[in-house]
Amino acid sequence: MKKDIYAKMQILSDSAKYDVSCSSSGSENNYKTGELGATHNSGICHTFSADGRCISLLKVLLTNYCIYDCAYCINRASNDIPRAAFSPRELADITINFYKRNYIEGLFLSSGIIESENHTMELILRVLEILRYEHRFNGYIHVKLIPGSDAVLIERVVRLASRVSSNIELPSDASLKLLAPNKTKEKVLQPLKLARDLSFERTEKPIGMSTQLIVGATPESDFEILKLSSVLYEKALLKRVYYSAYIPVNEHKNLPALVDKPPLLREHRLYQADWLVRFYGFGYDEILSQERPNLDEALDPKTIWAMQNLHLFPIEINTASKEELIRIPGIGIRGAHKILRARRFQRLTFEDLSKLKISLKRARYFITCHREFQKEVPLYEETLRRALTAPKKTHMPNLFDVSGITGEL
Amino acid sequence: MILVYDGTFEGFLSLVHEVYYKKYVPHAITKKEPHANLLDEVVTIEYDEAKAVKVFRALQKEFPKEAQKTIMHIFLCDTNPFELDLLEYIKLGFKNQKELQNINNPHVFTIINLQKELFRHYHKYSGFLRFEELEDGTLYAKIDSKFSLTYLLGAHFVKRFNNQNFIIHDVKRALAFAKYAEEAQVRSVADFELPSLSDEEEKFKKLWQTFFKSVAIETRKNERLQKQLVPLVYRTYMSEFIETKVFKVLLFVHWIYC
Repeated sequence: MKKDIYAKMQILSDSAKYDVSCSSSGSENNYKTGELGATHNSGICHTFSADGRCISLLKVLLTNYCIYDCAYCINRASNDIPRAAFSPRELADITINFYKRNYIEGLFLSSGIIESENHTMELILRVLEILRYEHRFNGYIHVKLIPGSDAVLIERVVRLASRVSSNIELPSDASLKLLAPNKTKEKVLQPLKLARDLSFERTEKPIGMSTQLIVGATPESDFEILKLSSVLYEKALLKRVYYSAYIPVNEHKNLPALVDKPPLLREHRLYQADWLVRFYGFGYDEILSQERPNLDEALDPKTIWAMQNLHLFPIEINTASKEELIRIPGIGIRGAHKILRARRFQRLTFEDLSKLKISLKRARYFITCHREFQKEVPLYEETLRRALTAPKKTHMPNLFDVSGITGEL
Repeated sequence: MILVYDGTFEGFLSLVHEVYYKKYVPHAITKKEPHANLLDEVVTIEYDEAKAVKVFRALQKEFPKEAQKTIMHIFLCDTNPFELDLLEYIKLGFKNQKELQNINNPHVFTIINLQKELFRHYHKYSGFLRFEELEDGTLYAKIDSKFSLTYLLGAHFVKRFNNQNFIIHDVKRALAFAKYAEEAQVRSVADFELPSLSDEEEKFKKLWQTFFKSVAIETRKNERLQKQLVPLVYRTYMSEFIETKVFKVLLFVHWIYC
């Protein structure tokens, strides 16, 4: 039966939505006179879906037919779901027309495995060729490499795409064996290693790569997950790791029982820790260890780190280096820059910091401003934790409130 | 003392000239004749080309490039009463241009933050602006924004749509950025009648709405977050939200009358 284009769009975007990655940032501005499309260094969100996620790219599968049978995946071969496929030309046409209306930054193309790995990769390559050569399209294209396809095909895709990725999905080989019998970690990383070697040979800026890890489907601790990510960053293999709170779409004897809420807070804390590793100069072993294998849900990882290392605090705002400033809980890269900029002109006080709109909610416990410091809470882990996790006092004055001072209504 | 000027950049430069040479100390600067009380002295400043040019030359000479850009940008924030802060910013720059970096100064801080707000709006609209294809292939977008963004957005889209013709129409300010072939400029629009849309427009709008709906994950639904990220003011011309709004109104009507 031939499906109409709306039904195809519905099926194929529905199947792709569990992929978290949708960023279009980190590429050079590259417009060419007389051509269509440009990437934007900071990335641009074109709208936000009802789950609050940024929509930047047209994220679809070329097809959701699949010969694999991975337990966690909605498109596994044994599932009885509606299937559809775009033709490469059809998809290229939609991409261009969406782009011209400023709906999207570009395309995020993934696919189920149809017929064979190589056949699938060829179809994806065809889409890229139509976009890049026929439409002269310079916008962003993210391609999911198909593990197990030929090196020649991967090489051609890497030359045309802005970013490529391959999802590891599960943080250890044991879990992969359990839930994705057709995949191994080696097989998943193979296309990424190939793409890295290719881009090292080239003189231009290396291509960005990313991967995704599912959190909460298998028993790995946060420590193991974070360790895996930072190893991947160190090997210059990846630019980004995405964490995806496990959302049950299938039932399977090896999967956790269906729960109604995905572990969103755990996912959030993992992202915070990931940021600390990538931008704040933290090592994964500073944040977590074998003894403390999981992130605290009540407080963010930087605050936890600070409470473990109270001998480094309080930090003097007026003399600390940038590296020290960004280690203060509640002060980010922007805040640190503001402080560095402002203190060139005068010594900063708590009041100055508030004027600069730097949040002191957490930071005040960990800083001094030229002999000025908060005196209510002593610098011990228990007292700090109590102060930081205390429920917010919200007092809504009502009509019958009696003034504490005069006793008047 | 209240100073009144005509609201243009040139008019403001004339005002700066007068402040310097007549030693005015205004406590307010407005674009329109204010309802002042009897005690306020109101001085209306007429645009004077010679004075404006003189101040402009001085700005070019004394101010670093970045600060000159900032002053231009502040003028795009036309719904914000920025005049007093901008005047102080300019006075400060003439005194000592290093002080323009000093964010401890409340005027500098206000100006820099206002510029940041402008950039934030500009960045949001570079994603949220929606074009429709007209019969002749021209892309047409309407915008209804707090600040005047047609210049910035025009430059942004010239890069992306380099082989397209397009118009960005600021409805409230009656301004439009138009790019046709090699030519690109901002013009004022007195009266505009929208030509018919291309035959394919409906199809792609519908495809987009389909995509928008099906890409959201039901178990992660979070409309509060969505509203925080795309506040309602931006949604006026975004088709993916318009459709659901109409639907909600219909539901409401149904609920009242049936």
